[in-house]
Amino acid sequence: MKIKVNTWTVPAYWSWDVENEDVCGICQVAYDACCPTCTVPGDGCPLIWGECSHVFHMHCLIKWLNAPNSQEQCPMDRTPWKTAAAHS
Amino acid sequence: MDNRSRLRVAHTFVPIASSKKRKSSNTLASQQTLDAFYNTPRGEALSTTLTTKSDSPLNKRTKKSTPFDLENMSQRSDSDHAPTNVKLGFVTPVTTPSNGNASNSKLLSGNLRTKAAPKKLIIRNFKVKPQLPPNYEDETWDRLKRAVHAIQNHEKVPESLETLYKSCENLCHHKMADRLYTRLREECEKHVQVELQRLSRDMGLELFRSQLLKETSLRDKIVAGAIDVITTERSGDTINSSLLQSLIRIFIDLSLYHDVFEEPFLQRTQLFYRSEGEKLVHSLDMAEYLQHADQRLKEEGVERINAYIDPSSKPKLIKLVEAELLERHVDTILEKGFQPLLQDNRKDILALMYRLLSRVHALDKLRTYFFDNLKKTGGAIVTDESRDSTMVQSLLAYKQKIDSIVADTFDHNPQFANSMREAFESFINSRQNKPAELIAKFVDSRLRSGNKTATDEELESLLDRVLILFRFIHGKDVFEAFYKRDLAKRLLLGKSASIDAEKSMLSKMKTECGPGFTSKLEGMFKDIDISRDLMSNFKNHKSYDDIKDLQIYVNVLTQGFWPTYPPVEITLPPDMANSQEVFKNFYMSKHNGRRLMWQNNLGHCVVKATFPKGKKELLVSLFQTVVLLLFNDKKRDHLTYNEIRELTNIEDKELSRTLQSLACGNSRVLKKNPPGRDVNSSDSFSYNDAFTASLYRLKINTIQLKETVEENTRTREGVFQDRQYQVDAAIVRIMKTRKTLSHNMLINELFEQLRFPVKATDIKKRIESLIDREYMERESEDSSSYRYLA
Repeated sequence: MKIKVNTWTVPAYWSWDVENEDVCGICQVAYDACCPTCTVPGDGCPLIWGECSHVFHMHCLIKWLNAPNSQEQCPMDRTPWKTAAAHS
Repeated sequence: MDNRSRLRVAHTFVPIASSKKRKSSNTLASQQTLDAFYNTPRGEALSTTLTTKSDSPLNKRTKKSTPFDLENMSQRSDSDHAPTNVKLGFVTPVTTPSNGNASNSKLLSGNLRTKAAPKKLIIRNFKVKPQLPPNYEDETWDRLKRAVHAIQNHEKVPESLETLYKSCENLCHHKMADRLYTRLREECEKHVQVELQRLSRDMGLELFRSQLLKETSLRDKIVAGAIDVITTERSGDTINSSLLQSLIRIFIDLSLYHDVFEEPFLQRTQLFYRSEGEKLVHSLDMAEYLQHADQRLKEEGVERINAYIDPSSKPKLIKLVEAELLERHVDTILEKGFQPLLQDNRKDILALMYRLLSRVHALDKLRTYFFDNLKKTGGAIVTDESRDSTMVQSLLAYKQKIDSIVADTFDHNPQFANSMREAFESFINSRQNKPAELIAKFVDSRLRSGNKTATDEELESLLDRVLILFRFIHGKDVFEAFYKRDLAKRLLLGKSASIDAEKSMLSKMKTECGPGFTSKLEGMFKDIDISRDLMSNFKNHKSYDDIKDLQIYVNVLTQGFWPTYPPVEITLPPDMANSQEVFKNFYMSKHNGRRLMWQNNLGHCVVKATFPKGKKELLVSLFQTVVLLLFNDKKRDHLTYNEIRELTNIEDKELSRTLQSLACGNSRVLKKNPPGRDVNSSDSFSYNDAFTASLYRLKINTIQLKETVEENTRTREGVFQDRQYQVDAAIVRIMKTRKTLSHNMLINELFEQLRFPVKATDIKKRIESLIDREYMERESEDSSSYRYLA
């Protein structure tokens, strides 16, 4: 018997590359879930990584940076917020 | 002022000034002319001047102011409308006496101012004697005759008595009195004759009536006889109905019908139908009985009334029959008749029942029976576990049957439709969770490919009907969980019959339950679409060339949307693992900060297999593929179960399922040794070199679609787990607003908020757990109340 696989289809779940069960430092909701203003997790409510290595829901961080007293600093370590170019 | 407006002023002025006068002066003038006419001897007419002596009142008045001067006359004519135009003769002056006056007087007063010598006004006789209109006499008599008739018949006289009197007078003056009298006499004679006739007939009847009233025994005999005859007819014999009709006419003419006949007639009728109703309601089959009652109502209400009974008795008669045949037996009719009639779908009889019972206002009772019956029959369908596989079909058929009964026999009565909905809702939920699960599976079976029997329209209408059942279900979360799991399999294994049908079902659920219910399901479709785009990108990517021999297609799924599966271990052949790795790298380059977790248990492959007896294309699951690849190229002839287990790393349950499908199913690509239906760990396997099949393309991966017992329990437990969270969230929400609340109040509010059925004991457990986690505490003095802890 000779067997040859032509095509194969397989599903894969994607998830954010963060520690399991970890929560966003701003809204205290899991990274896997969405920020409080969104209703569904996934593409619609992405995460954002800072050069300081801190991760937030993007919506949460934008809201924070727009607040006058944020001084555009990371809410965790008060260094000026810089979005990481590429996450490894 | 221009000419036109002046004219208008003049116009309006004149009628106002004269209109009041005109009426009175008109009649007065004509009267007086006539007076004057008749008072003068015939043939002589007026020949006097105004100054001559005369007996007429007019002349008397004018005489006072002799010598007759024109000024005086004009003043008078203005003030008391004295008809100076007497001179003008008989009928003609009626036209415009006052106008004539006005112009005359103006003219005359103009003359007056000249102070000319007084002239004499001479009035001459008409040359020709005035004539009456030709048919004056006949016309006047017609009017008078009408008046006479009116008086004889005690009606209102059409004309004023004065005019009538004048008419008479006029006729008499013209020597027509004789003829008038004759005519009047004839008229009165006729009237008296008629009156007299009537009187004598009334008298005769009156005498007959009083005699009959005195002769009670005779009268009773007549009445009883008549009723006996009617009873004979009711019993089915023919009778002489014209005789009966004349007898009853006599009663009516004598005004004895209501006093003497009707009462005993109705009593006997009641007795007759009471005994008939009691006898027949037990002896007859209910359909026959209802038809019989209907027939009786027709006989009494239409035939008998038309034949001889007075119509005034109809309402009483009908009411009596209804009361005796229907009202007294409503419970028996329903008890005995409803269930079998409904079961046999006897729409005609049920419609009759509905019609008859609505006559005696017993529809509420009918509705109660209907409701109870539906609950019983439907409950039997739902709770019979041995018929689970056909439950949904039975329910659909049953719903259709009841729908058509409500429409055809209960006249679309909204109350009945409502009862039906209530009954369905109650019996479908009498068994928890299972109906919801079965409905979801039923929909899955219809949306799965290979179900090509139905046309699009049929499928659509079927889905609509299923949705109605779905509407009755309380625990919609159970339906959602099973539906979602089945949908996932359809989408990921490419088993969906039609994306259009899928989307249509989705939009139906969305309208039914709101967007919150379907947002995750929609997310699943979105993932599939995104993956399609992603894969076409991947195929153009340079890294794709490396794995061209082994084309991989990946559906990338968002975790929250899809059902979760327990991770399954498997050791993939190196080239397959490699292709996964290539895709993973491609994906990472596109999407920063993400991870991929392969769901190999849902992988499936298209495999080309070359057997000694021909080439085949196999549709197999990834697990099956991995096992088959072990036998490739005759590296090994035989493999024991344990060897396979070691090489693939598939866990036992999954592996034995896989091997069974390959060696014991319809397409036995492998041979099991020893042969048998079940796979044991001591078995060994070899490839089947004698494999043949009529088809080129073989589907062996149906096991993937099948639901395992573990899967079922997992789905169910998932639902219960979710419900717990929802109960927790609801409790916290309520407590947060109320701060303190008694146990019972809390339970009540929860039942209102939660959309699925929960038991009070389960809620108690959740409350305990929340107290443990310090969301709330018991009140120190009242242990049946809770306090929210912020």
